[in-house]
Amino acid sequence: MGVEDQDLLVIGGERLSSRMFLGTGRFPSPAVLKEALDVSGADVVTFAVRRINLDEIGDDSVLQHLSGKKLIYLPNTSGAGNADEAVRIAKLSRAAGLGKWIKVEISADSKTLLPDPIETLRATERLVQDGFTVLPYTSDDPILCRRLEEAGAAAVMPGGAPIGTGLGILNPYNLGLITEQSNVPIIVDAGLGSAQDVAQAMELGAAGILVNTPVAKALDPVMMAHAMKLAIEAGRLSRQAGRIPKKQYASASSTPEGSLFAAASPSAT
Amino acid sequence: MNDVRLYVITGENYHPGRSVAEVIEEALRGGADCIQLRDKEASKAELMEKAQTLRELTRRYNVPFIVNDYLDVALACDADGVHLGQEDLPLAEARRILGPDRIIGISTHNIDQARTAQKDGADYIGVGPVFPTGTKPGRAAVTTSYVSEAAAEITIPFVAIGGITLDNVDHVLQAGASRICAVSAIVGSRNVEATTRDFLSRIVSRSNGAIDSSLLRVTVNGKQVFTRSQNVGQLVQSYELHNKRIVVELDGAVVNRDEWDQTQLRHEAVVELVHFVAGG
Repeated sequence: MGVEDQDLLVIGGERLSSRMFLGTGRFPSPAVLKEALDVSGADVVTFAVRRINLDEIGDDSVLQHLSGKKLIYLPNTSGAGNADEAVRIAKLSRAAGLGKWIKVEISADSKTLLPDPIETLRATERLVQDGFTVLPYTSDDPILCRRLEEAGAAAVMPGGAPIGTGLGILNPYNLGLITEQSNVPIIVDAGLGSAQDVAQAMELGAAGILVNTPVAKALDPVMMAHAMKLAIEAGRLSRQAGRIPKKQYASASSTPEGSLFAAASPSAT
Repeated sequence: MNDVRLYVITGENYHPGRSVAEVIEEALRGGADCIQLRDKEASKAELMEKAQTLRELTRRYNVPFIVNDYLDVALACDADGVHLGQEDLPLAEARRILGPDRIIGISTHNIDQARTAQKDGADYIGVGPVFPTGTKPGRAAVTTSYVSEAAAEITIPFVAIGGITLDNVDHVLQAGASRICAVSAIVGSRNVEATTRDFLSRIVSRSNGAIDSSLLRVTVNGKQVFTRSQNVGQLVQSYELHNKRIVVELDGAVVNRDEWDQTQLRHEAVVELVHFVAGG
């Protein structure tokens, strides 16, 4: 706990006690979502903005299940296909009085849901101008991430792998470059599958992670939320502790001198 | 013709450099609910081409399409009807050619002509020119007193026409018109769609009696609906959503909750009601 006390994550002026951002979709029930949220300790939750189905007004509003908690709301612009649509969604959510954070999410392809880099950058520029705290979900391209930072993103959220795949971090090299060069927090978003991937993200220098499906669809979502919370801490400590460089060949951890079975001295032959 | 409120006639000399289809589509998007092709300059071949284009367009918007003067063109493009002046083919002859189902409209300039047209089986009449107009130069304006006469006596639909603009439309509506026809004020406008919408909202808010003015046609979450709600607050309440955490967008702009009750709905308004759902 001592480490965490001085190791707060600050985004857009907000001090966050947790490095886990939790998506709210696909949980088996609101009760499980609530419990997983409690266990994760997440301060930031994400959700989407949609048209109400007026033919069948079921209560799909996720916010009622979260009321009573002090949370930072991070609405996403999923469903937007270009910057205009993303800006429109951002304005809708801000009008609801849910704060000024916005996760720019502009998919250009329905199969991979990979983000459209050009439109993501455009939307980020416009929303920053408009006073939003912008967290763009982006591909793991170091130059693009730099451009987003320059555009004023409060944090940059490169994907580890396509949304919901659980493939983990497909390009740790790129992600390492991104965390190394960035002056804003890097939140690894999308594609993480398990605690292992979370620890890897943190070891690569991420400031935090955003997960939804791997928690919501785990056999035990609450237990997975707990595992990931621990993985964040373990990965970050490991990063700060400083790992050894990788080597091609073995190097013993004890010295060879004095080995009981060392070859006899040359004078014996 | 009963449902028609805003009848738009083409006038290509008012929009040089822009095609008639482009301008009329903007008027349709703005809510024009009847279109007439009027072109006294074009050759028959040119006219036919325009007629076919506008026929397709008006079909897409589900709006009646009327051809001025030319019965042959109207028949050839399967228009919904024709509009005839006092000097054109007599109504009875036109009816014989067009059959009972097509619309026939007649221009009238005094109550006698209106009575005759009604007696002879016109489907609607034009009443005008109410004000002096560039489309009929030299013709004396009939003023709003003829509009009042028609409103008091004529039972078939009548459309007030001639020099009507956003500046004087309220006088025409006050005189008893519930259907307005405009040419230059709409097709010659810099923003055809917005001007059309403005005309419609004036008609809707002023008309009483014959048309149920409390019924608005609006699009809510992508679906066209009729509503008696006059403002955003009433609309939200009609869906029982007023206690929910939702956001309202009207014609592309967010309406803050504390402004819902003061924000009037207009004919053809586009409303989005959105909420927050689970997601990553």
